[in-house]
Parts: sequence; C-alpha cells; structure tokens
Amino acid sequence: MRWSVVVSETAGDQKPLPLDGVRICDFSWIVAGPQATRIFADLGAEVVKVENESHLDSIRLALRDPQAGSYNQSGFHNNFHRNKLGITANLYHPEGREVVEKLIATSDIVVENFSAGAFARMGFSYERLVELNPKIIYLSLSGFGHVGRDSSYVTWGPTAAGVSGATMMSGMPDDEPAGWGYSYLDHTAGFYGAIALLMALHHRNQTGEGQHIDMSQVETGMVLGGVPMLDYQVNNREYTRVGNHSRWPAIAPHAIYRCAGDDRWIAIVAETEEQWRELCAGLGVADLANDARFATNEARLAEQEALDAAIIERTREFDPHELMYTLQARGVPAGVCQTMEDRMEVDPQLADRGFYPTAPHGELGEHRFEGLPITFSEARWRIDRGAPLLGEDGHRVLTEMLGYSDEDFARLLAEAAL
Amino acid sequence: MAGPLVGLHVVEIGNRGEVAGKLLADAGAELIRVEPPSGARSRGTGPFVNDQRDPNASLHYAYLNTNKRGVTLDVEQSEGADLWRRLVAGADIVLDSAGPGVLDALSIGYDSFDDDALIWCAITPFGLTGPRRDWAVTDLVSVALGGPPMSTGYDDHDVPPIRSDGEHSLAMGGEYATIGVITAVLHRTATGRGQLVDVSIHEAVSGTTEGAFPNWEYNQGHVQRQTARHASPVISPPWQHMATDGDYSMVHGGGTPRSKEIYDRLVGWLEENDAAEDLADPKWAEVVFTDPRSAADARAHIVDVVGSMMETMTADEAYRGGQAIHMPFAHVRRPEQNLDDPHWADRDFWVEGEVSGYEGAVRYPRAPYRFTKSQVEFRRRAPLLGEHNTEVYGGELGLDAAELTRLAKAGAI
Repeated sequence: MRWSVVVSETAGDQKPLPLDGVRICDFSWIVAGPQATRIFADLGAEVVKVENESHLDSIRLALRDPQAGSYNQSGFHNNFHRNKLGITANLYHPEGREVVEKLIATSDIVVENFSAGAFARMGFSYERLVELNPKIIYLSLSGFGHVGRDSSYVTWGPTAAGVSGATMMSGMPDDEPAGWGYSYLDHTAGFYGAIALLMALHHRNQTGEGQHIDMSQVETGMVLGGVPMLDYQVNNREYTRVGNHSRWPAIAPHAIYRCAGDDRWIAIVAETEEQWRELCAGLGVADLANDARFATNEARLAEQEALDAAIIERTREFDPHELMYTLQARGVPAGVCQTMEDRMEVDPQLADRGFYPTAPHGELGEHRFEGLPITFSEARWRIDRGAPLLGEDGHRVLTEMLGYSDEDFARLLAEAAL
Repeated sequence: MAGPLVGLHVVEIGNRGEVAGKLLADAGAELIRVEPPSGARSRGTGPFVNDQRDPNASLHYAYLNTNKRGVTLDVEQSEGADLWRRLVAGADIVLDSAGPGVLDALSIGYDSFDDDALIWCAITPFGLTGPRRDWAVTDLVSVALGGPPMSTGYDDHDVPPIRSDGEHSLAMGGEYATIGVITAVLHRTATGRGQLVDVSIHEAVSGTTEGAFPNWEYNQGHVQRQTARHASPVISPPWQHMATDGDYSMVHGGGTPRSKEIYDRLVGWLEENDAAEDLADPKWAEVVFTDPRSAADARAHIVDVVGSMMETMTADEAYRGGQAIHMPFAHVRRPEQNLDDPHWADRDFWVEGEVSGYEGAVRYPRAPYRFTKSQVEFRRRAPLLGEHNTEVYGGELGLDAAELTRLAKAGAI
C-alpha cells in the first residue's frame, strides 16, 4: 500500500508559508548544506541552487540507475533538493559570474559547505559578499570551520563523527565502535545550520545587520557529547560504551531483543516495577517477575546478562509488531526496530500525519518525500515539486528574478556563461 | 556581544524539551524552566558530581540547562496553575513537553490562553494527533521506531542493531523544535500572530536516516548495517582500524583517493612508512579514474594496504597524516579527547563556566555555530532546584514573602 498526502493545494485560502519572501543563493552540495536549505525551501523560502556541469554535486550521481546517462535521476538528490530552483552558472565566464553576483545582491542568505577557503578562492570572500549585499547573511559550513589551525582539514559525515566523539559513543563495550550507519552529522550540521540562519534572520530583523556564521561540522557533533565532557572534567571519568543498555539513568531491562523473522528486533524498556511485571506477563512468563534475581531494578542491573537472555528466550518467539502492540497495550515502552519499509508502508502514525507526501520530478516522475516533523497551526510547509533538473529554472530565475531578457538568456546559454 | 535571541522570553515545562530550551537560552533568550517540586527527570539522571546522587549534582542536567533560570511549581494544584498562567502571560514562547493533552486536562494548555501573539511549541513523542499519540516511549524506543538502529551496528548481524548513546531522539526533536519556534518568531514579526507548533519526535528521527529513504523509495532496497560505516545494500570494505595506542582511526571510504594527485601523495606517505607494497605501480593508480563497480578488486587491494599502515601508527598520526595529504581521515576520539585539541581553542569553542557542587571551573562546548555579530555566552550555570522561586514569583510576579512561604508549605511551589 502507498500512503500519500497532497500537502500543496491550489486553494486560495491555504495557510501562508512562513519563510515566504526569504531568498537563498545556495552553493551547498552533498548532504549537510542541502539539509539546511531543504528545511528553508519546505518552509517557503526561495532557494536557488547554483550549479555547473564542470563541478557537479556528486549526490546527483548517488543511487541512480547505473545505465542512466543523466544527472537528473538520483532519488537521493531528489529528496534533499525538493522545492529548490536550479540554475547553472559558469564562474569562469565574466557574464556567468555576473549572474551569480546579481543573485547574491538580491538574496538574504548565501550558503555553502565547501572545504574552508574554497568559496573565497572562487572569488566570494565574506568581504566580497558584503560589497555585493551589505545585509547578507553568509553561512559557511565546513569540517573544521574557517578559523583555527586545522581549518584546512576535510571531513565527510563519518569522519566528522569520528573526531567529534559521536562514533565512539555508539556500540558494544567489548567491541570496536559501531559509529552511525549513515552521515548523522550531515543531518545534524544541516539542522544547526538552519537554526543559525533563522537566528541570524531574527537578529537582522532586530538590528538591520547581516553577518557571517562560521560553522564546523565536527563542532555540531561535539555539542552532542557535552555530558561526557563534563564527566571527564569533574569526575575524571573517561567515556566507555554501554551497548543498548542505559547507564544514566540506570535501568534494566533496557535493550534490543531478537524477534521471529529475518533480522527482526524489538526495543524494550521497563522503567518501573509495574512495567517490569507487565512485560513479564506480556511475554507469557509472569513468573519471571517473581524471580529473586530480577526482583528489583538494582538486582536486574546486577544480573543484566541473565536478564537479557531470559527475555530473548521469549521475544524470539514473537512477531515484532504483534509483540509491540501487546506490550504497548500493557503500558510497556516497546518499539519495533523499524526498517524503512516499516516506516513507509506499515507505520500508521506516520501515515496518519501525512509524513510522506508526494510530488513530481522532471525525470523521475511522482515520488514520495520525507516530510518536515513540524506542524504549524497558522502556517504550513510544502513539497510542491521535486529537485530541479540541472539548470531547469535558469530561464525563470534570470528573467523573473534577475532582470534578464529572453534574448539575454539565450545569448548567455549560447556563450556557455551558464 | 549579546546572543541573537536576546529579548525573547520563554517558559519551558516537561522533560523532552531540554535541548530546545538550551539552544534558545544559550542564544540569549530569557528562559524559565518550570519543574515539579520533586525536580525534573534529568536531575535524577547521572553522571553526578563525585558520583553523589543529588538533584543539584547531575551533570546531565547541568549540561542541558545552561543559561536557564529555574522555578518549582505543582501545576496540578489550582494555585500552581494560576502561577503557570501568570508565567505564560509574561512569555513570548512556551516549550511544552509535558505530554499530549496533559496541560489541556488541567485547563492550562494552549487553548486556554487568549493571546494571539503567543507561540506554543509542543514537543511530544509522536505529535499531538494520530493513533500512537499516547504510546509509552523512552529514547531507546523512539530511535528504534524512527529507524537509526536498523542502519547502525556491526557486520555481524547476530549482534543487535545499536542505539547510539546520548538520547539522540531528544536532540533531533529539540533541534526541529528550535527550527519551528524561531520560524514562528519570524512569522510573528511579519504578521503579529503567534501559533501552535506541533513537533513530533518520531517524525524528527524518521526523517534523519539519510540513505535508507532513497534506497527503499526508488529501489525497494533494504540497507544493511555495517561496522562503523554506511548502511547499504552493498557491503563495503572496512574503514576503521585499531591504532598502536589502542584508539581507532577511520579512513573514509576505505582509502581510495579521489584524484591522481592525491593518490601520488598517498603513495609517498606509504613509502615513507615502508608500507606502499606495490601501489607505486601505475596500474593501481588507474583505479581512481574507473567505475567502482568495475574496479572492486583493485579498490579492495588499496584499502588493504592503507589499512595495514593505519595499524602501525597512533590514531592521531593516522588522522593528521591523512589530512596532510588532503584525505578525510579521522581519529575516533572519545568526546573528552577534544578538550586537548588546540584547534577548538583557536575557535573559541570552549566557554568557561561553573557546575553546581563542583569547586573548579569547567569548559562547556559553546555552541554548534560561531556567529560574528552576536555570540553565544555562558551567562549562568543550570539552576538549583527552585533556585529562582523568590526572584521570579516574588520579584517579577509580585508575591510577598508570606505568600511565598504559604505556597511552599502547600506544596504548590
């Protein structure tokens, strides 16, 4: 079954887009920067992604059909660039550069996530941006930031997580770090990038001034490890992994248990004695609650290995979804380790909330997208269309936003300025 | 320099909004955290100063409540509810993570306020609507349902999927709540109107799993978890290597450079360490220019050679050696190992502050963004339980001392 909700309607009485009127000149690529500008585009900002075939966003090549000879068939790219407008500009051509400068002059925000210094080498230092637009808000999002002795170092999501501590804080205590199975810090840096831009817009509303925001992807991971940093300084304790157990708060059971089926798992926690008794009853082993080894939370913590073994003995007999419903009906915190298929085709909550709306894309056709986890009472978000084909909106942006004529546009195209 | 949100007033109630509250308060907003007289849940969550369990000694609370003031209040008592109404009346923004419908049942929820300009952000496990709205969750259950564990773990699938430590469902929910709140502030500046902002933690986590989504939507493929690297339908070579000092280093993508120029530098570095084996042979460099699917064996060979060298040096040497040739290598650090890296001090990333119950000064991460025209400052440590009752109820709401004493005795504050 496919769930779909039409978020965007043409009715005249629909709620406003809260960032309508904000324009972003978007040089971001891969994932981190695009995650930030995706949020802005969903909320109604006019995000103009500037590309060039000679310096392609490699995400345009991610997960596409290997036979496809097109830059426009990556579903990965489609999900991160929906709602955005796409233009091409050749920065080595003076008139191509002029197009970008006009776009910057009429934008509120410029975003890039190149390695530190790369954008300035392309001719766009913060000082130059201010010459073009005195109130510009400029977000640079690099691995280590533009300031500091290691600013030339480069990251991808996983290595940024590695340096930050986020990788180390994931996995079994007696095994190597498991890290994160995707570029969590690309998402996280994007979220913090969006937050910083919103704060800077508020600051500009209050004071009239724009500014440069210098972000480091590694720092966005370090702020997630603040508690162990305090623990080290105050108690001299080095961080050690805990697997799926919970050291703080110290509660048991607290783990992920195997269920029936191929690689199916359920997360179960009992925070109270009542939940512990209900869990045992739900698993069909009410007597386990009376086992002296597991009589109190302290006892269960001390015997966690035996406890987990006793629970798995039962969970492995159950379908994960059936067990989840059984335990939730008894008030026990329990959740299936959901696959993407579970979330998109089974999860009734996400379907009910309309979290996977559909929108068209020029070559990929109609597809679902990940929504925005925010529902406003007086405003809305939208997913009107998929990602732009390479250069798809050049004519529209140049003629409707930047004052070029149809003839100018045709000439710039012919002269390879775009 | 003041923070970018200076002048905004926030009240925070509930146990799932601490991250959003911290981000707003650190950025300059005046925030009052409203806790039950027994204290917020995180006061009971360790680690504790000197491992002494005490509501004012939790480092978990200390970190997530910087720059906030704190009052105690029993909103279930009618006098407590009255004080809540007065606190909200003085606020631009309410962060409500008390649970769906909890404050409504006490007639002190969003609908009970007749204030068109009020911004009210509900942060709840599933959102304010839907069939699972009232399900019981913890962070472990939230991330399981949202998807990260099915992408995270080990090559050995007998080991369970992994929940990363650190209550990340609350981080993701809090980050999106901050986005929703400031968006609502901008909307209010433009229109004069506040609104209800409904943030679902389940949706926040579900939308934060990168490649799992396009693999399913476009290819009906399931990503497979792999040790410390991207989950994918395709199994990749190892990235992580144990160094001579017992720490791990990480080689993004395994170790195949992205250009011939960097390949040559990599071979130079390998040769300096007598570890190049046969990689100077030009046939291997060709792999840089070829499709990974047609050169899998060659790539695997390069990964083997590079990985073997990683195991002959410290994790820091591997990290800095890789970065010196412009390759994204990492030292897989414990969070606290960053305290000694001078790069972060160059960036003024640390901000010195206090922790209640501890004598010395400690360094906190300042913020995940470095503004140039406004600044995130450490203005105050996390509040003691009820530390600002007198200041807020007495000084700002105008209650006299006798009234404060009576309310305290009645358990209302």
